Amino acid sequence: ISDQKPLGCWSVKHGQVLTCPVVCNVETHEYVAVHDDRVLRIWKNEDINLDKAFKATLSADVCRLHSLPHAGPLVLFRAGAVRTLDVLLAAPQQDIENVISEEAIRWSGAFMESQQPVVVFTTEKDGDFFVYVQKPKQESVHKYRLEPQELSQPLSFTAYLKDQSVTLLCLCSNDCVYKVLIPLQQDPEEEEQTLPKSLLLNLSVSGSVLKGTSLVVLDKDHVAVLGSLTAPDKEPKECLTIWNTKFQTLQTSKALPLGTSGQLWCYEEKFFLTHGKVLTVIMYKCETSSLAAAVGKLKDSQTPGVTSCVNWNTLEDEEPVVSLQSQESVDLKAESRMNVILKPGPCISELHSISLFQDTPTNVLENKLRHLMSKTQTPDLQATIGSVVTALANRSKANPKYYPQNCLLQLVETRDLSYSLCPDLMALALERKDMYLLQICLQRFPDIPEEITYACLETFLSISEAHLQKTEVDLDSVICYIDVELRNKEVKTEIVENGFSEELDQDMCDTNIPKETRAKSDAESCPVGPQRAALLNAVLHSAYSETFLLPHLKNLPAQQVILFLRYLYYLYVKCSEKVNTTLPGVRSPTINQIMDWMCLLLDAHFTVMVILPEAKELLSNLHKFVRAQVRFYSELNKIEGSLRELQRLNHLRDSQSYSIEVLEII
Amino acid sequence: QREDSIVVGTSTGATYQLQLLPVKLGGSEKRWVRTKPFQHHSHDVRAVAHSPTALISGGLDAQLVIRPLMEKVQKKGYDAVLRKFTFPHRRLVSCARKARLLLFQFSQHLELWRLGSTEESGKDGEVLPLCRMPEHLVQLKSKGPEHIYCSCVSPCGTWLSYSTASRFHLYRVRCDGDGVSLGKVQVPKVLPPAYQLQFSADSESLFVASARGAVHVLQLLEPGGCKHLHTLRPPSGCPEAVYLLAPSADGHWLAAVSGDWAIHVYNLKCFKHHCVVPTYSCAVTALAIHPSTNNLVVAYSDQQLVEFSIPEQQYTAWSRSVQSRGLHRCWLERDSPITHITFNPKHPSHILLHDTYLFCVLDKSLPLPDDSTPLMNQSTLKQLPETARKRQLHAFKICKKFQPLLFMDLLDENSLVVVERPIMDFKTQLPLPVQQKKFGT
Repeated sequence: ISDQKPLGCWSVKHGQVLTCPVVCNVETHEYVAVHDDRVLRIWKNEDINLDKAFKATLSADVCRLHSLPHAGPLVLFRAGAVRTLDVLLAAPQQDIENVISEEAIRWSGAFMESQQPVVVFTTEKDGDFFVYVQKPKQESVHKYRLEPQELSQPLSFTAYLKDQSVTLLCLCSNDCVYKVLIPLQQDPEEEEQTLPKSLLLNLSVSGSVLKGTSLVVLDKDHVAVLGSLTAPDKEPKECLTIWNTKFQTLQTSKALPLGTSGQLWCYEEKFFLTHGKVLTVIMYKCETSSLAAAVGKLKDSQTPGVTSCVNWNTLEDEEPVVSLQSQESVDLKAESRMNVILKPGPCISELHSISLFQDTPTNVLENKLRHLMSKTQTPDLQATIGSVVTALANRSKANPKYYPQNCLLQLVETRDLSYSLCPDLMALALERKDMYLLQICLQRFPDIPEEITYACLETFLSISEAHLQKTEVDLDSVICYIDVELRNKEVKTEIVENGFSEELDQDMCDTNIPKETRAKSDAESCPVGPQRAALLNAVLHSAYSETFLLPHLKNLPAQQVILFLRYLYYLYVKCSEKVNTTLPGVRSPTINQIMDWMCLLLDAHFTVMVILPEAKELLSNLHKFVRAQVRFYSELNKIEGSLRELQRLNHLRDSQSYSIEVLEII
Repeated sequence: QREDSIVVGTSTGATYQLQLLPVKLGGSEKRWVRTKPFQHHSHDVRAVAHSPTALISGGLDAQLVIRPLMEKVQKKGYDAVLRKFTFPHRRLVSCARKARLLLFQFSQHLELWRLGSTEESGKDGEVLPLCRMPEHLVQLKSKGPEHIYCSCVSPCGTWLSYSTASRFHLYRVRCDGDGVSLGKVQVPKVLPPAYQLQFSADSESLFVASARGAVHVLQLLEPGGCKHLHTLRPPSGCPEAVYLLAPSADGHWLAAVSGDWAIHVYNLKCFKHHCVVPTYSCAVTALAIHPSTNNLVVAYSDQQLVEFSIPEQQYTAWSRSVQSRGLHRCWLERDSPITHITFNPKHPSHILLHDTYLFCVLDKSLPLPDDSTPLMNQSTLKQLPETARKRQLHAFKICKKFQPLLFMDLLDENSLVVVERPIMDFKTQLPLPVQQKKFGT
């Protein structure tokens, strides 16, 4: 403190004794003191003489005064009664009831809970400790007994308010800090309860023990303890220590060789204590508690975003069930075991057991499933659904006639599944040629192996158009851009938005390629039907790694390669029509996905494509289009550069000027 | 500190960190390895410093760069960001309020300009037509190769002074008709060079800040002379030079900040030391005395603001409430310090402050913003109807329209003068970086 001077000083007359700490009422800027146990004094900063200050003599001895923000001061009497100062000043000589019988108050604290003052104090009688909770506004008193501790006595208390309950910390003579939760909302009829203690912190560090005298709470994970550190063969030395209660570590300590009064106060990130003959103020700062900080290896205190995660324990528990089940398709023992292992709720386990039985009708299953889905998300729901799907898939495998498509679709659409949670599902769908399920899986699963992705692609490209016409797929991704009248060449007469005109481009390029008109129609109309397009879009959307996909992609037959490439070319042209190079619609492929797949396909089949006569014109069209796009963008770049230069010049001219402007500041 | 890391600056504008690292992990043999190249300067790097967590470099491109060493920075926060400073944190422009003159300080010369004026008025954002153009009155070249260290023009515009590292000069400005002439004034020989210059509000005396905490008071005499009146010194002595001065408008008080960050307040009526503002652990970047209440407003380099009542010798209630509430996080995380503070006599509750990127009208009568409310709310407020504004108002009225801001001062009740210095302006004036061979390699 650089500005060391007393701001005010008041003294009582000779013979009078101040009997409890003075408090300041921050609302009225008044000080309240009690001397000779029952004489109350109230004065302001301007009053110089305490003797002339307001005086009130009370009818009972005062124990402590408490001052709370947004509420007047509270007076705690030796007999345990609590009054607000206003009530007391209205009738100073009022009767004060006796709340505690022959117990002595050891510690008291006041809190604001839902805009009501609450006073908590602890009392002692013959080694037994009690906690009282008083709400002076409601005139309610609750008494609790503190769980007794063998061979140790509480030395010091501190408390803080959190989530409508007061946490009381007590420093005991066995060098431990205990935590006691005191409920504030209590049934008035409730009898005297015993509050359990839980060990919060053991004040010992590698052989030496801290004999604490007082403690304060710093934040949810840190407490400060003032005491003397004693080692078996060393002189005890007084020190102030900060402990991390989460990791039970001593964070820091400061030796106080001149001795202290054993009292410690803490206010606004500063400790106040007497050290020798001076009042010492020590600033502190508590970092967020983390293990790294506790062991002194903090790198980055940023906490990662909360992500939902799988409970691996649940998964592990379920694994034997799955394997067991695949060995013995119908087994009552398995069912009973499953009921034991899976405990998320009766509904899920029941459903699970149902899926084991071959003869369960699909509609019963669906009903159960709907019931399950309507339930709120539980942590292990995801794992449970995974095992349900696996069970269903296994049952379908065993029984070629059984295929609960609706159930599976519903389950996949909950978005909680991944490939690894039910590896058999996609293989089953491929086997049964269930295009819809495959599409949904490709859209939802984040972790499909490249092998399966390729198998899907192959199936989508090879399946007959007639079969596709009949199947239902999600057309959301294609409906917005695909040509409605596929073979109508007159549709495309508008000038494309980004300035690219195919006619112009073809004039510029060499026009020796035969069947030019056909090539044009190729780029204009979609080479595949909307169903197939939607399925291929799902493939484009799935995540993959090039290295793992390429070997599989090499196996794709040449005709299918050309079909797929034609579709990609079509998408690319469609994309380029728009200024923002994105296709409309939900889950439609992005230009990057299209380009990546195009490159992949060409990489995998480069030699075949060069030799194949049908591929020639497609490749040359593609080449021309890409070249035109490259030219177009390089021109755009030049324009951008020129515009920027213009802007810069404009700015320079602006800044040199002198101007008087009107500026409104609100 | 462990002598295992060096920072070097090169003539190409790059800085390198060299570290003494073991050749093999855990091995005892160590070698110096060039580890981190940074290219933040366009010109020669002239000075480097190595702090425990950052490399600091200053170059001929007029930039100071603080590059944090990411492996040393424990927390993502204020310290972990690359920082560049282009402007010096000192006042380079001074304003003669009554005469409506501006004095610009360049490295080797001074320019005195008369501000233009207008007779129109308008709405927010409008540019008003000028009825008189700004006028370049005079250019004063300093003699010798030394750079000008500080300069000042008196509020009435009749006196002008500047100082180089070795000498202090005082001029009398004479306006005869359209022409302006400067007359050199003989100054007492004993006067040392100044670290800061400040005229009193009535233009009758000049305060010269000099070494060892001393402030010399000169009395200015018409038609062109001066007399050394007194030397103010802190009672306990001070090894550092005074670098900031703030006289009160009534001529009663003078606050002086020395290099040890102590703020001494002197009584000018009896030339006595009055009090010391409680010292704070950060450098003072600007200070000013309120014209009517004689409250001293101080801005510190950690962006804290305090208000200290000189007559009562204690922090004001408002200052205490600011300290207990804490300032807005966005305010505290700004890069550049407040370089000038001024007041509006028409609105005693207003404090006008500016740094390089914003200027702020701090209205003490309004509630302080808390971290959940946006600090820069002027554009939002402008869109709100009058009735809804009331609830959104807070003490910090910030304007970021003028950037980079070199200087801002109040001209009269209704007008502010703002000086912008576009960075491109002097970047283009910088000579090309020269590759110079210094050693015969």
